[in-house]
Amino acid sequence: MEELTILESSITACTSLDELEKVRVDIFGKKGTLAKEFGKLATLSAEEKKSFAQGLNLAKEKLQATFDMHYDVIKTALIEAKLKNEKIDLSLYNITPNIGALHPVMETMDKIIEYFVSLDFSVENGPMVEDDFHNFEALNLPKHHPARDMQDTFYFADGSLLRTHTSPVQIRKMLSSKPPIRMIAPGSVFRRDYDLTHTPMFHQVEGLVVQHKGEVSFANLKSMLTEFLHFMFGEVKVRFRPSFFPFTEPSAEVDISCVFCKGDGCRVCSHTGWLEVLGCGIVDPNVFKAVGYDDVSGYAFGLGVERFAMLLHNIPDLRSLFEGDIRLLEQFR
Amino acid sequence: MIVTRSWLNEFIDLKEITDDMLYDTFNAIGLEVGFMKKGSIPKRVVVGRILSCEKHPDADKLNVCQVDIGLGTRQIVCGAANVVNATYVAVATVGAILPDGLEIKPAKLRGVESDGMICSASELGLPNIGSGIMILDDSIGDLEPGRELCEYDTINDTIFELELTPNRGDCLSVYGVARDLSTAFSRTLIEHKYARHNKKIKLGISREASLNVHSDVDAHISCNLAVQKEDSQLPLIVYIRLAMINIPSKNKLDDALEYLLHATGVILQAYDADFFRNDDGKIVIELKSDHMINISNAAETGSVVGVCQEPKTKPTSQNGQIVLIASYIHPDTLNTMIGGSKIKKDDIYYNTSRGSNPDFAFGLSIAVDLFEKYDILDFYEGTLNHEPSRDDKIVLVDIKELHAIIGQEIEKTIITNVLQRLGFRVVNVGDDAIAATVPVFRPDISNIQDIAEEIVRVIGIDQIESKPLSFQECYHSDSAIAVYRAKKTIRNRAVSAGFFESISYVFSDSTLLEQYGFETTDSNSALLNPIVQEMNSLRSTLLVNLLLSAKRNINYTKKLIPLFEIGMVFDAKRDEKEKIAFVWSGQGELESVINHGKPSMMNMPLFLQKLGFVLGDFGLQECDQSNKLIHPYQSANILINGNVCGYVSKLHPVAQEELGLYDTFIAELDFQALMPRHILANPISNYQGVYKDLSVLISKEIAYSQVKSAIDALSLPILRSVYPVDIYEDESFGNNVSLTIRLFLQSQDNTLDDDVIENATGSVLSTLGANFGAALR
Repeated sequence: MEELTILESSITACTSLDELEKVRVDIFGKKGTLAKEFGKLATLSAEEKKSFAQGLNLAKEKLQATFDMHYDVIKTALIEAKLKNEKIDLSLYNITPNIGALHPVMETMDKIIEYFVSLDFSVENGPMVEDDFHNFEALNLPKHHPARDMQDTFYFADGSLLRTHTSPVQIRKMLSSKPPIRMIAPGSVFRRDYDLTHTPMFHQVEGLVVQHKGEVSFANLKSMLTEFLHFMFGEVKVRFRPSFFPFTEPSAEVDISCVFCKGDGCRVCSHTGWLEVLGCGIVDPNVFKAVGYDDVSGYAFGLGVERFAMLLHNIPDLRSLFEGDIRLLEQFR
Repeated sequence: MIVTRSWLNEFIDLKEITDDMLYDTFNAIGLEVGFMKKGSIPKRVVVGRILSCEKHPDADKLNVCQVDIGLGTRQIVCGAANVVNATYVAVATVGAILPDGLEIKPAKLRGVESDGMICSASELGLPNIGSGIMILDDSIGDLEPGRELCEYDTINDTIFELELTPNRGDCLSVYGVARDLSTAFSRTLIEHKYARHNKKIKLGISREASLNVHSDVDAHISCNLAVQKEDSQLPLIVYIRLAMINIPSKNKLDDALEYLLHATGVILQAYDADFFRNDDGKIVIELKSDHMINISNAAETGSVVGVCQEPKTKPTSQNGQIVLIASYIHPDTLNTMIGGSKIKKDDIYYNTSRGSNPDFAFGLSIAVDLFEKYDILDFYEGTLNHEPSRDDKIVLVDIKELHAIIGQEIEKTIITNVLQRLGFRVVNVGDDAIAATVPVFRPDISNIQDIAEEIVRVIGIDQIESKPLSFQECYHSDSAIAVYRAKKTIRNRAVSAGFFESISYVFSDSTLLEQYGFETTDSNSALLNPIVQEMNSLRSTLLVNLLLSAKRNINYTKKLIPLFEIGMVFDAKRDEKEKIAFVWSGQGELESVINHGKPSMMNMPLFLQKLGFVLGDFGLQECDQSNKLIHPYQSANILINGNVCGYVSKLHPVAQEELGLYDTFIAELDFQALMPRHILANPISNYQGVYKDLSVLISKEIAYSQVKSAIDALSLPILRSVYPVDIYEDESFGNNVSLTIRLFLQSQDNTLDDDVIENATGSVLSTLGANFGAALR
C-alpha cells in the first residue's frame, strides 16, 4: 500500500511534538486521511466492504503504532535535551560544610562517659573550688605529707584551693549517699604546672565502685579497666605496674602498648613500647574511714582525658587544645 | 633516685641478670624506670701507665708523655695541667672513635709526634668530674695497662633513674633499692664485713665528749668523734658516681657524706667539734625536744633533727676534730612536728620526711670503712647513743581477707615467704592468719591493704587473673547524666550551627576583666599563687578568653571564626556558675562558588539565626546588661521560657579594635536555662485559618518587642501567631517607619467569619494606635 508508506514517513519525519500533532490531525483527525478512507466504506458492496475494512483497520493499527513509537522517540529526546540543559558540576559545590566541630577532648570525654553510663555508672559533679578536707585530708593525704608534693596546688587567700583531681567528688558522693556506689566524675582539674607537657588545667575522669566488704577485688579492677581500654584503643596490650596513690592500696599504673609503633618503640612512647594511661587501685581503708563507711570494699581509677585524646587522635601539642585553635578543631568536622 | 648497676652490685650479686631484666623487674615491682642509660665508653680506650712526663720543647702548656699501653709504649702529647700528677690514665689509642666523633690518628703537635690521646671523663662520654684529664685509681678495679676501659663495669656503668613514689623512702638509697631487688630475685644481700684499716690503738670517745639528752626525745642519734686527715683524697669512683647522680662536688667531707647518704640512706652530718666545746674544753652535745628535736651546744641550736643544720656548725678547717652524727626520726613523728611551720628545710628533709635508713650499724660500718680506707678521718673508739624504745608495728593478716582484696587465692606459704624476704617477721596465728612485724625501714606499712600491695607487687600483677565483678544494683536518680545528655544535645546543635567547641582555662587576666567591666574575685577569695599574670584570676565571663582565642585565629590567617564554650565562671565571691558563650568573628560563611568567593560578613540577623539553631525558641528584649564588650545599639537580653538568661550583642567597636578582631558578635547565657523544658502540646485546629497583613506607620523609637508585647497582651483567642515581615523607611514618613506584621488567625471551633476577622485586626490596630500612635499606612 503505497499511501501507507507515505503516511508513515510523514510521521517519522516529524522532529517536534507540534509537528507530530499536526500530522496526527491530518491522519487520525475527524477530517483526516483515515476518516476519509473510512468514509469510502459506504460506497462499497458488502463483499468489498469486508476486505476493505480489514485492510483499513490493519493500516490504522500500523499507523497508530508508528505514531506511538515516534511520539516516544521525540518525547525521550526532549527530556534528554532538557536534562542536558540542567547539567551542573556538582564537584564545584562539594565544599567544606559550614559546620563546626566538637572539641577532641570533649568528644573523648563523651566516649568515656557513654562507656561507663552503659555499665550503669552514675555521673557525678563537684565544685572546682574545694577545701583541704575533700581534696586531700579525706583522701588519706594528711597535711605536710610528702605525697602532697605530687600535686602542685593553686591556693586562695582564704585557704580554699582549686581541686587537683576529681577525687574529691568521690568523697562528696560517699558523704552524701550510702553504698553501694558506682560512679564516674568527669571534670576539669588544676595543677600549678605549665610547660610543653603540662597545662594548669586539664580534664580527668574518676571512677569509683563501692560494695560490701570482700566483694570488690584487684582482679575485678583489672578486668574492668582492661575491657575499657580495649573499648577506647582497640586491640592493644594492657600492662599493670604496681605504683602508689595515697587513696588506693594496692595501687597500679596502667600502660597500653604504644598505639603508634605497636610496641616496637618510637618517639611518643620514649622507645619503651608502652604508654601510661591510667592510675587505679583498691580504695584505701583510711578513705572509707574518713567518710564513715564500714564493712565495704571498693576500687577507684582516674585518667587524664587530654592524654587519651592526644593518643587517640595523634595530637602532638597539649597546649593547642586550650587555644580554640581552628586549624586543629576544623579537622574534626 | 638514680642507681647504677655496679653500685647495686656492691650490695647484691647481679650475676646473670641483664640490664633489660633489671629494667623490667624495677617496673614490675613498682620502682618505675624513668630512663636507663648504658655505659658507652668507646672501644680502644685503654688503661695507660705514664712512665715519664717531660715539658714539650716548643710549648709551655704541653707535656710529652711516654705511656705504657700494655702492648708497648706510646709517646703522647697532653695539654692538661694535671697530667704531671698522674700515673694511670685513660688513653684513646689510634683508631678509637670518641663519642663526639673524633677519630684518634697519629699526629704531630708542634713538631712532636703523638700516638693517641689522654682523655678527660667527659671526652669519654662520662659525666664531667672537673677540669683536666681523668686520673685513674684502683677504686674502679685492678689497673692493667692495655685493658680496655669499657671492660670496667664500675665506670662503664648502666644508669637507671627510678621515679620513686613518695611512700618508698626505703628505696632512697642504693642499698634500699638492692634490698627490694633481693626480694624480687630471691637473692640474699651481700653481707658487709667491716674490717679496721687503721690498726693504731684508738682513744675512747667519752674521754672528750658527752651526750646530754634532756627530755623525751623521739629520735635515734649516734655521735662519733673523729679527726680529719689533710693529705688524703677520695677515690675516683666516688666522683664518677656523684657526677652520675648529678651532685656537684663541694669539698672532700661533704662529697663523702653525700656519697654515703646515697649509698646507705643513713643520715650522717658532720659538725665542727668546736661548736660543742664548752669552757672546759669538753665536747658536750645537747639533745633537746622542744617542739622539734634539736642538737645544740650550751647556748644555741646547731641543727634540727631531720630538717636542717646551721651552716656555721659545719667543719671549717680541713684538719680539726669533727663530730659525725647519725640520726633517724620516724617520718610520721617528723611530719607531725613540722606541722604548718615555715622552718627552713635542707635537702635531707626529702629523705627524712619519707623515711631515712634507721640501720646505723650498717650505715656507720660503710662510712667508717670509706673514711679509714682513704685516710679521710681517724675515728675515736665508741659512739654516744640515744635510742628511744619503739614498739614493734604488727599487722594481723587474715589470709581470707587478703584473698578478697586481691581477688585470688595465694598460698599462705607464698605470702609468708614474700613478707620474710621483704624483711617482715612472720608468725602464724591459727590456720588462716599471720602476724607480720613490719621492718623499721617501712614506715609506710600499717594495715592489711598495705600488705596486699606488697604481695601484689612482688608476685607480679600479671599473676593476678582478671575477674569480672558482679555489680550490686545501684539507684542513681540524682545523677548528672540528664545534665550531661542535655549538654551533649546543645553542643551538637552548636556544631551544626557552625560553631567550634573551644576549651579555655578558667583563669583570666584580672586587668583585662576589669578593663572590660567584668567582676574579679574579692581580695580574700583571690588566687594566692597564680602561674602567670595572664591567668591571675578566676574568670567571671567566658567571653574574654574566647575573644582572645578568636584573636589567635586571626593570627593563624583564619577569616571565619565561630567559637563556643560551655564552662564555669566565678563571681566576686567565687561562686561557680555554668555558662555557655558564643563568639562569631569575620565572615558569615566560607568562600565558595555560590558567593563568588566574596562571602558576606557576619551580621546580627544571621547571628541570631545561628543562635536559634542552638537555643531553640528564645525571645529578645532591651539589653539591661552593661559591660564594655556590649554594643549599646546592637544588643538585647535573651529570654528563654520568658526569663532573662543572658545577652547577645555586636562586639563594641572599641573592644573590637583593641583586640584586633573583625566584626564580631557575642552572646553569653546561663547554661541552666538551656535544660530541656517540659512541654505540653496545644490542641490542633481542624478549621481553616487566615493570614492578614497589617502595614502601620509607627515611630522609629518603638522596638518591635514592644509592639509584640502589646498585641500579646490582648490575648485574642483566635490570634495564633504574629510576626514582622517587612520594614520600610521613606523620607515622607518623617520619624516613622512602615512596619508590616502578619497575623495568623484561626479558631478552634469553626471557620472564621469575615466580621470576626475584622474584629481581631481592628482590635490589634486600635491597640497599636492607643499605645504607640500607630496608624494604618
